Amino acid sequence: MNVRTSRIVALLTILALLLSGVSAFAQDTFMGKTAAELFPIPDVAANEQEQQLAFQALLAAGLPDGTALGAGQTMTFGVLGQGSRGGISGTIYFWRNVFEAATGAEMEIVEVPYNELGTTIPADFLTGQYTYDAFIGAAWQYGDWVSNEWIQPIDQWIGDPRFPSWTPDDTAPAFRALLQWGGQTYGSQMDGDAQLLYYRQDILSDPEWQAAYEAEVGSPMPFPIRTWQDLLAITTFFNGKDWNEDGDPDDGISLHLAAGGQGHFHYATLAASFAVTPSAGDDARAVSKYDNVFWFDPDDMTPLINQPGHVRALEFLQELAATGQEAQFGWQLGEAWDNFLGGNAIATFSWGDVGSLSQNPDRSVITGNLGADVIPCSSEWYDRETGAFVTDTENPNCVGNTTGGSWHPTMSAFTDVPELTYYFMAMLANPVINFYNATTGWQGIDPCCTYQLYEPRGTAVSEDYTAVGFNADDMERYINSYGSNVYDKTTYLTYLRIPGTLEYIQETLDIRLSEAMTGQLSAQAALDATAADWEAVTDGLDRANQLAIYQAAIGYTPGG
Amino acid sequence: MKSRAKYYFLMPGVIWVLLFTLFPLVYSLYLSMTDFRMGRDPSFIGLQNYAEILGLDGGGGDTKALETAGFTLFIVLGSTALTLFLGTFMAWIFNHDLPFLREMRAVITMPLFAAPVAVGFLGVVIFNETNGPINNIFQGLGMGRVNWFIEPWPARFAIMITDVWQWAPFVFIVVLAAMQGIPDDLYESARLDTKSNWVLFRKITLPMIAPALGTVFLLRLVETIKILDIPTTLTRGGPGSVTQSYAFYIREVGLRGSFQLGDASALSYLVLIVAIIISSIYFWRMRARYE
Repeated sequence: MNVRTSRIVALLTILALLLSGVSAFAQDTFMGKTAAELFPIPDVAANEQEQQLAFQALLAAGLPDGTALGAGQTMTFGVLGQGSRGGISGTIYFWRNVFEAATGAEMEIVEVPYNELGTTIPADFLTGQYTYDAFIGAAWQYGDWVSNEWIQPIDQWIGDPRFPSWTPDDTAPAFRALLQWGGQTYGSQMDGDAQLLYYRQDILSDPEWQAAYEAEVGSPMPFPIRTWQDLLAITTFFNGKDWNEDGDPDDGISLHLAAGGQGHFHYATLAASFAVTPSAGDDARAVSKYDNVFWFDPDDMTPLINQPGHVRALEFLQELAATGQEAQFGWQLGEAWDNFLGGNAIATFSWGDVGSLSQNPDRSVITGNLGADVIPCSSEWYDRETGAFVTDTENPNCVGNTTGGSWHPTMSAFTDVPELTYYFMAMLANPVINFYNATTGWQGIDPCCTYQLYEPRGTAVSEDYTAVGFNADDMERYINSYGSNVYDKTTYLTYLRIPGTLEYIQETLDIRLSEAMTGQLSAQAALDATAADWEAVTDGLDRANQLAIYQAAIGYTPGG
Repeated sequence: MKSRAKYYFLMPGVIWVLLFTLFPLVYSLYLSMTDFRMGRDPSFIGLQNYAEILGLDGGGGDTKALETAGFTLFIVLGSTALTLFLGTFMAWIFNHDLPFLREMRAVITMPLFAAPVAVGFLGVVIFNETNGPINNIFQGLGMGRVNWFIEPWPARFAIMITDVWQWAPFVFIVVLAAMQGIPDDLYESARLDTKSNWVLFRKITLPMIAPALGTVFLLRLVETIKILDIPTTLTRGGPGSVTQSYAFYIREVGLRGSFQLGDASALSYLVLIVAIIISSIYFWRMRARYE
């Protein structure tokens, strides 16, 4: 599709949305229910604006009558548990009334805490309970779910007019791959997780601060930030200075590094550009024994986690974390975000949630001053093939990421109500509803699709975001960076989707990283211990089987 | 008919014990001798799990089990000693005529009725490094902040303090009841010889409450060996894994990741053996004393 054609398609799409929006205003009910009935305040919607925006999105979504699919039946939906107004689970509560109105069915929601994800749902299948018709989990769990045949493909229903419309073609390829396995689609689109660099645009572009930096450091401020090394230089300069003029010293960086949380994602995102090398051939993303691999040697499942590139990355993370508060080592996700959104840190790197939450006046004081960019490259990285570090400040190593869960629904292979279940999955994946959800911030849903990205990567326009009250400049930086990350990178951090992923990452790596970050172990010792833990996990799970699934998951052909 | 009736009355109790006490015990003993992982067929491997944990198979043993047992021992000894001391001290104070005694007693016993999970979450707020009241008080007194969740020793003490806060009232209630059961005439007679409260406590109160203290000591000891809720909610086992208790580790092995129920059962049996040994010593000593 050339640029002109894509523009015409984009215009037609917007026109269609506008027309459906206009007709929406003419309607005041959906399946006989009003906005107040579907999104009651405060039980579902927080206020009238949220209620009206959601209702407009619902009417524009053009959901078909689903009463023939299972009226009177009950669908049980498992979801990451963060409450009725929390990330991911809040979305299910928010749209439950609509689903029940559209289908005449009932939905039972079962929340599963983050730390129990690896226990509750697998135990349900392993003990033959089959409680859930569908559940929202993280894409890294596909290794367990698919290999055990707990979930089923949904391709047969995609495009069927009995269900809400959506297509995986709208999803950015990097995220689409996470919905699929072996050429089949198992998940419906909902959330596209990737980490970006966020910073204070107003402070870093301020000529006075730039001059102060140059006076103190002796070289111009490296802004825009290209490399991790640039970021470290900047956060080191700003850490401890009262740059927000509140009378207290402020932070350079804001990270969440508590054990048992999601600090390991910070590590993986950062370490990628220290440890992953692109292929030298025509296809930079081609996987070989040495290129585009991060977790294990694809020939024998030997852990790569204690290779010199990883060790250097962890040492770097320790240096970077030292440019923020010590309390970071005990922070969970929300605390790190709030520190940045509260205007106390120059930078953070995290998921798309920061972009949308920065526009929420209840949570953020930096609206209009949000800087965003793709995750930095590294001017120093380890080449496993040559066994040596490479240093190149002119052409740093840049690695994109889809770090995170990319939380989305999958359907149980044992459901009694597959079509009813798919109706809800498709409803959440509908472009209008998904667009709305991603703009709320509190739902924890990040951009995934062309209809959320600006040209040339997508079809969204600035007005789509300003219409919901977002700052146009902030969105320009945020959305374009998000799009650049998922479309423009030469290579990506390999997404680990093998049986036992939670054991490898959450139960071992996360703990060892915490030991390194809190000074209990050196970076090398922590990663050596991780490698030993991983060997034990792999042996316990059957090395040959793990190897086969790992090779399939990353697209590696032995000897190829 | 008469002789059969007693069996009918006994039957519910017998069924209950068989189903909910003996069967789980026997089944988990069997599991501990298998390589059972949920979702896979188990194979009988005898005492191999025990040998691997204890390092009797020529390997290095389960170092994680040893580490978590070490932390658990720290909590067991520290928390039990502190709860006994504080609970007894509070009971001694409240055994005197004081104003608002009943109201204060009600307030003091409140933590006992909170779920340990809730107490753990409360601890997250109280020990918060940046805005928690404890650090605020320290800073108000001109002392530095304590990194409760970041540094290993403060994290260990945070768990111990939280456990003591919750369970000292239990000791308080039991010991206060024992103190109030001591006849006043014993003190009146003793006061003819001494006016020292300490001597009265040491020579009369302590020996008289010793059986109650012994029972409380045993209950707290066995209960603290199983500590799980507070480390799970307060520190999530961190920083790193320094506050993972033995029960926390059993849960990690058996109910997370690859559900190694064989290993977890063996680990559980080892702690059961320790608890049985401690209880047996206690009851043996009690019998020796009172028979």
